[in-house]
Amino acid sequence: MVSVINTVDTSHEDMIHDAQMDYYGTRLATCSSDRTVKIFDVRNGGQILVADLRGHEGPVWQVAWAHPMFGNILASCSYDRKVIVWKEENGAWDKMYEYTGHESSVNSVCWGPYDFGLILACGSSDGAISLLTFTGDQQWDVKKISNAHTIGCNAVSWAPAVVPGSLIDQPSGQKPNYVKRFVSGGCDNLVKLWKEEDGQWKEDQKLEAHSDWVRDVGWAPSIGLPTSTIASCSQDGRVFIWTCDDPAGNTWTTKLLHKFNDVVWHVSWSITGNILAVSGGDNKVTLWKESMDGQWACISDVSKGQGAVSTITDTQQNEQ
Amino acid sequence: MAARWSSENVVVEFRDAQATAMSVDCLGSHAVLSGRRFLYMVNLDAPSEAPRKIGRQSKWDVGTVQWNPHRSESHVFAASSNQRVDLYSWREGCGEVHTSLQGHTRVISDLDWSWFEPEFLVTSSVDTYIYIWDTRDTRKPTVALSAVAGASQVKWNRRNQHLLASSHDGDVRIWDKRKPNTAAEYVAAHLSKIHGLDWHPDNEFILATSSQDNSVRFWDFRQPRKYLNILSCQVPVWKARYTPFSNGLVTVMVPQLRRENSLLLWSTLDLNSPVHAFVGHDDVVLEFRWRPQKEGSKDYQLVTWSRDQTLRIWRVDPQLQRLCVSDVVEDLMDEMSLNVESDKSFTSQEPESQHGLGPAAGNLQDPGVALGSVVGSGLPQTLQQEFSLVNLQIRNVNVEMDAVNCSCVVSAHFGSHQVRLVVKFPAQYPNNAAPTFQFVAPTTIPSAMKIKIQKILTDTSLQKVKRNQNCLEPCVRQLVSCLESDMTQDDGPPPNPFVISNPVTPPLQAFPRVTNTYGSYQDANIPFPRTSGARFCGTGCLVYFTRPITMHRSVPPTEPTPRSLSALSAYHSGVLTPMKMRSESQSTLRLYSGSPTRSDKDTVSISSFYYKERKSRRFKTKREGTDYGNRPIKLAGKVIIQEISCLLPVHKALGESYILNVNDILETCQKNASAALTVGRRDVAKVWALASAATGQDLSPDSDPDTETPWARHPFGRHLLETLLDHYSHMSDVQTLAMLCSVFRAQAPPPDGNPLYAHHPSRSSSMLPPQHSRYPSYTSSSVTSGSCSSTSDSITTTTWNAGRDSEHVNPWGESSPDDYRYGNQGYADPREREREQHDMNKRLLDPANTLQFDDFKKCYGEILYRWGLREKRADVLKFASCPPEPHKGIEFGVYCCHCRIQARGTQCAVCKRLTFQCAVCHVAVRGSSNFCLSCGHGGHTGHMMDWFRRQDECPAGCGCHCLLQSTF
Repeated sequence: MVSVINTVDTSHEDMIHDAQMDYYGTRLATCSSDRTVKIFDVRNGGQILVADLRGHEGPVWQVAWAHPMFGNILASCSYDRKVIVWKEENGAWDKMYEYTGHESSVNSVCWGPYDFGLILACGSSDGAISLLTFTGDQQWDVKKISNAHTIGCNAVSWAPAVVPGSLIDQPSGQKPNYVKRFVSGGCDNLVKLWKEEDGQWKEDQKLEAHSDWVRDVGWAPSIGLPTSTIASCSQDGRVFIWTCDDPAGNTWTTKLLHKFNDVVWHVSWSITGNILAVSGGDNKVTLWKESMDGQWACISDVSKGQGAVSTITDTQQNEQ
Repeated sequence: MAARWSSENVVVEFRDAQATAMSVDCLGSHAVLSGRRFLYMVNLDAPSEAPRKIGRQSKWDVGTVQWNPHRSESHVFAASSNQRVDLYSWREGCGEVHTSLQGHTRVISDLDWSWFEPEFLVTSSVDTYIYIWDTRDTRKPTVALSAVAGASQVKWNRRNQHLLASSHDGDVRIWDKRKPNTAAEYVAAHLSKIHGLDWHPDNEFILATSSQDNSVRFWDFRQPRKYLNILSCQVPVWKARYTPFSNGLVTVMVPQLRRENSLLLWSTLDLNSPVHAFVGHDDVVLEFRWRPQKEGSKDYQLVTWSRDQTLRIWRVDPQLQRLCVSDVVEDLMDEMSLNVESDKSFTSQEPESQHGLGPAAGNLQDPGVALGSVVGSGLPQTLQQEFSLVNLQIRNVNVEMDAVNCSCVVSAHFGSHQVRLVVKFPAQYPNNAAPTFQFVAPTTIPSAMKIKIQKILTDTSLQKVKRNQNCLEPCVRQLVSCLESDMTQDDGPPPNPFVISNPVTPPLQAFPRVTNTYGSYQDANIPFPRTSGARFCGTGCLVYFTRPITMHRSVPPTEPTPRSLSALSAYHSGVLTPMKMRSESQSTLRLYSGSPTRSDKDTVSISSFYYKERKSRRFKTKREGTDYGNRPIKLAGKVIIQEISCLLPVHKALGESYILNVNDILETCQKNASAALTVGRRDVAKVWALASAATGQDLSPDSDPDTETPWARHPFGRHLLETLLDHYSHMSDVQTLAMLCSVFRAQAPPPDGNPLYAHHPSRSSSMLPPQHSRYPSYTSSSVTSGSCSSTSDSITTTTWNAGRDSEHVNPWGESSPDDYRYGNQGYADPREREREQHDMNKRLLDPANTLQFDDFKKCYGEILYRWGLREKRADVLKFASCPPEPHKGIEFGVYCCHCRIQARGTQCAVCKRLTFQCAVCHVAVRGSSNFCLSCGHGGHTGHMMDWFRRQDECPAGCGCHCLLQSTF
């Protein structure tokens, strides 16, 4: 059953804004208003502080682990308008790259699928989205989508590297035609899909349903099915699930997951893409799962910050 | 002359009014006073008449009242009462509510009629919305502007019909009503709450803000980072409004303080000292309005309402108006003569202006006749009064006042200099009698400067007493200004003149790139930080963090969390406590800022939004007497990692115990079934049982297409499997999907009889025995899904670019769907096609979906990798049939050697000649080839090997030393 396997006392001096584990689930990175990023070794229920990364001059909003094939790399973004990429080398964490190309708080960072190499998307309150690509030898290529969201961009999330419509349109023997795509959400209440075409980033789709700032977007991981799924949440308390079965990726249908009473800050997909964790201003975490008939149901509720996840429904799949 | 001041001051007392607000109509004929029980309509032409009353029934005070400023609608006024605005019409001596505007959910803080459209009214409220109403349609506001913070003031621009300004604590937002989504501009105007907001009457970009922080600031909203000018007062400023005549400004102090009851008139050109004080009210001024000018009159009238329950009308004559024009002291001498002239001209004009006032003039002239409640003069008449009122809290300056001897001693020290100045006042002072100034020991300034200062002081005092005004304070300020400017020349950087002993420093002067002013206007588009969140990590973990349970939101739970960081500015100043913030939480606020990483004490953190609830006493004793309240507060909650893999459709235990043995499919299925049972997946166990049956020997297809229909074509064959896969797709059970696909792939051996593992491609990249592939564009690449470096070497193949081979040999054991699609092109023999078709039909997995099945395997492989099960991952990926990863190195393209056009196949599409001839046998090369990277000649691998065994020059005779040049 669901059980707490570790409780990490981060000893941050101010409130925590993000916590994320690495690919293997052995390390935990946290960031806080105290301007630091901390990394803990959490193997076997332990909590050993591995690194206390200081370099930001403002509250740090989000962290993101890169795929381990590139080494131990962590990106962080902050109110101080900076994005810092940290790398562990010989056991010591150090700044690998510092990006200062935004004019306002950077609110979200997300690493792209490893198939594309080391590529980081950053969304900022200056309305722009930056795409930082590591080109080797300490060089980073920067592409910037200016005015991606008027007022500001609050969240970015990459699409998994799957071939759109892979089942039918794969021409003989050619390399899988991976298209770089990601989704972003912003203060214009919009969810936008972006696609790279000939090295240029273009707005692919504009999804409209929210009535207030979109706070987070999450592109669900793929398990090989031809459907793309995106979750978005907003200041208006609504969480929408967007799906697209169309290989061209043009027709998105939306379904309201739930309307919460307070702002929803964060959505996160499980690795199999069938459970969504939703958290927001009410200090609660709820897990939602799609049933066989396509309905979303709340399967658990983490309340008040101290209780364990208690499953509401029997989660063992006994269906025959 | 002295009598002039008292005569111009009309005073009417309304003892029972208890009015909170006042407004003057656009015709200048009526003022409305809003009390709790009645609205009083005062006839300004005959203010002493008993006012008419309009009854009202509400337990709420009137917040704001305002007449419509348009003549066509001059009978209408609006009064806000809690969440409602009542529109009254006043006709022929009686008034009534004709309609109400309801929409706000919290108390309305301000309202303002549009200067351009008579029907439009804007209201602001604590509920964070600003509504623009069309009074012809009162059901709902026509425009709603959503601000994050509640507004205290809202004012239409007087020059631009679309613009309006609102104040939110210390910030000002400029809105364009055509773009209601977001404010057009943000001005972080003050550190403390803004009480008053006023647009410049003539300039559409300029506005004045008055604040709790003891200052009035002037802004051009196009330059929101820096105020144009600042007027420092020693008291919080309630309202600062431009005068209808140029360059004037009237200020009143915050009513709650009850210290200063006069209104001050300033010239915006010289903010060092007020040009006039309207002294007379016994209590603080609640509201002041300008009475519209009567035609032909050069005077303006200021109508004020005070808590002393008196309404006063002050006349501001052209003389006083001109004071606002005259600015710097240096010009005073020049202006002297002019002023004298204007004094004269004023005197001559006086009767005329009285005529202009019409019937009211009588009252203005002699209010004492009409009213019993007339209070005396508007100015301090005696030196004693002046001494008691004078405001001389200037740094480094001390003034000892001696009213009995009519003198005072001003001592000041600036840097190394000391000044001691004795001021003696004549008996007639201030009626055109100037005081004398004398420097006494221990004054240290040079004598030249003494003379200069003395002259300035004399000029200043003369200027004042000529109008019977007090001169002590202006003189002292002049003295300070002179001294300081002089020190500047001497001692380098000067202290800011006229900085009053008051800690407010202009915070926005230099805007650093990274500011510590967290939560200011520039944060209006930065989302409010997350303080809780949950994230799926790894494979089966949920990481979440929440606020500590002791941290509570300082706003009631019914209110949503603000969306933008700028909302924090509300918690920025100690002056303004958030709505429900308790006094005790203030101390916690201070504790937050005490954290060592923050140097700036004023820094506000997100935690300011939340306050810590004290533990109950009972809890305290449990804590062994430690004073819990004094312990540092944990602002960071714990991060909790939860194992949620039981919620997922994939199981690590299964990943470990599943086997894939191609040589004994039956055993594989049985073992996997029992493994599924141990983790409680009975459904999967049954599927495995089914799989073992379907892969059984008795159902294995015959190689001859004619004997029987293969099992795959049976409804329980491929169709059943598809249904199962569909089911597990819906469950997102990629584990079962991948395993089923692998097993059924293994079950269907490739047609050429090659066992799956038989194909172990070599890693060598150039010289290989001829091997034919249907993936022509790849040279050397590996089948991996990238993350697995450990296996990336194990499955490597080399294929050749040199053309397609019609011979259908598939080294991969299973053809790709493209084979299926394109494969039929070249078969001359129908039986071959039939066999091909039969091969397809024999398979339980639909070959058309192979790529998808491979995706399942890759995704499952990825999960296995996260679990650290690399060998299992390799086992599964062996069954992936997908084309190798895209090649990223050199690719060979064939260019026709005759027409230099890229050709596909052996024949050039343009010249129809062979594209690539063997340099030895002159036959077109397809299949294995080798050529020199330097000269481009080459040919069949065998021929090349033979040739270069004996030679080192190119067989084509081009003279290239191919063996030396390239990597033959």
